[in-house]
Amino acid sequence: MSQQKERTEELYKLAVEYSKFYGGKIMMVPKVPVRTLDDFSIWYTPGVAAVSRAIAKDPNLSFELTSRWNTIAIVTDGTRVLGLGNVGPEAAMPVMEGKALIFKYLGGVNAVPITIGVRDQQEFFNIVKALEPAFGGFNLEDIESPKCFFLLDNLRKTLKVPVWHDDQQGTAGATLAGLFNALKLTDRKPKDTRVVFFGAGASNIATARVLITAGFDPGNLILIDTKGILHPEREDMDELMLHNPWKYEFAIKTNKDRIKGGLKEALKGADVLVAASKPGPGTFPKEYIKEMNKDPIVFVLANPVPEIWPWEAKEMGAKIVATGRSDFPNQVNNSLVFPAVFRGALDAKAVTITDEMMVAASAELAKFAEEKGISENYIIPTMEEWEVYPRVAATVAQKAVEQGLARNKMSWQEFHERARQIIEESRLVLSTLVKNGLIQMPPKVEKII
Amino acid sequence: MVLMEKKVIFREARESDVDTLVDLVVRLKRLNEEFDALLKVREDVRDRAKAYITNAIKDKNSLVLVAEYNNKVIGVLKADIRERFFNDPMIEGYIIEFYIMPEYRKQGLGTELLQLAIERLKQRGAQIIAAEFPSQNKIAVEFYTKQGFRPIINIHAKQI
Repeated sequence: MSQQKERTEELYKLAVEYSKFYGGKIMMVPKVPVRTLDDFSIWYTPGVAAVSRAIAKDPNLSFELTSRWNTIAIVTDGTRVLGLGNVGPEAAMPVMEGKALIFKYLGGVNAVPITIGVRDQQEFFNIVKALEPAFGGFNLEDIESPKCFFLLDNLRKTLKVPVWHDDQQGTAGATLAGLFNALKLTDRKPKDTRVVFFGAGASNIATARVLITAGFDPGNLILIDTKGILHPEREDMDELMLHNPWKYEFAIKTNKDRIKGGLKEALKGADVLVAASKPGPGTFPKEYIKEMNKDPIVFVLANPVPEIWPWEAKEMGAKIVATGRSDFPNQVNNSLVFPAVFRGALDAKAVTITDEMMVAASAELAKFAEEKGISENYIIPTMEEWEVYPRVAATVAQKAVEQGLARNKMSWQEFHERARQIIEESRLVLSTLVKNGLIQMPPKVEKII
Repeated sequence: MVLMEKKVIFREARESDVDTLVDLVVRLKRLNEEFDALLKVREDVRDRAKAYITNAIKDKNSLVLVAEYNNKVIGVLKADIRERFFNDPMIEGYIIEFYIMPEYRKQGLGTELLQLAIERLKQRGAQIIAAEFPSQNKIAVEFYTKQGFRPIINIHAKQI
């Protein structure tokens, strides 16, 4: 593994050098021509006053006459950045810029990073609410739990534009997509499948919720946090009720057999393990996998190193293994989800992104892989298969129409064509800037040994 | 939430309930602790709770009611009959412990248990019912307000 460590060190060095060279990763480029400076009297004053007046009369026109239709904000307080923890809003910026790059490149979405200097959840809520007029949607990012649950729940309820918390929903969407195919390959039905969640943070809580929407029986799910298996008689139930009502709710409605103890006890008779806990290797003994039912499905999603290595899980009998990494098969990657989900939600001018829209996105991702031919080592598409993005976008948009949440109603084909065009154009703009030398190739950085 | 297929039984507590009641009372004290540092639970809380419950069950001036489901005690209410020295009405039923296990909440059991307690306390002469709980416990405030209670005395405290 020293090779991997070396590679990681190299990536760290490159990232710092490149960031210095480019001075950040994103910029704003105008999208209208300036034939002569007279054009400014159209794009700006006096002409623009008429556009303002029109929007003042009907604020919904802001989605037609300004860039709002395709612009979202990525908002974070920097309290839980990657595996780094609470690094603060300034240090969160490079991560948010990276996210904005992916949004634009894979989804054709303009995403503006906004890293805010507040800690209080109500204040955070107020800031996002105040920003609503400027944006067509919000992607919440890297926010500590349970604050992130409060924000997603309340902002979703309050705002009339889509709000998404990627650490919850992105990972949940990708996990569900992979699970759909893993279940098919092992001949299982969602409602009879017993799933153990190791780690009860943002992504696993969201995944559990989405699985229930997708037809899994809540009683067949078991969540485990640092204090052990969640069940309704746990001693800290009242503390959870007051400080983490989301976890509390799951403690009551999951685990119908009242299994108590830790991971080992939970895995006895389980079909699926979804671990999103602490980086491995060796976060838990690999032998635990033997406790599971025949042909178990093991998702070990901790980054940068999964809880146990995939080959260890296989040795212990795992039929299908997924991780969060691109260098192993079956990468559960939220980048498969968020660019497409927002593309679809924005194109439909959806007022929100529901769990049903998420499940539809996951099902479409799974279907794409299935059409290509699924196997133990291919249960979910990869980022290279970019044709999947317009498909997922169209499916999300169509679901929004179906649920009566879309302001723009088109057919799946129309949504698909539109998404394809926008994403393609976004890639073309970048490659054209590179081709014309406006974006230079990075300098050679001395390799470290 | 448990689907209530069987009936919940409300009755007065017995000796044999003590162990379960200790658990419920300790849970309640830990819940109260969440609301204020001055409600910190002592190390020997279990022993204290055991003595407290055992005495209360025997005490003529105390009422200990339990909710039982499927042969298991899932809720408790403990009140005392007290005399108010200066005020009318004079005889007070004072609710001091009230706890329902999490999964049985939000199904009206608390209301039923409270109503039964009020009835029994009235039979024993109570003319006014009062309840004590941490000021910051908004769930309790909402519950008692809904039942027609209003705040009449505040206890303010500081550590010295």
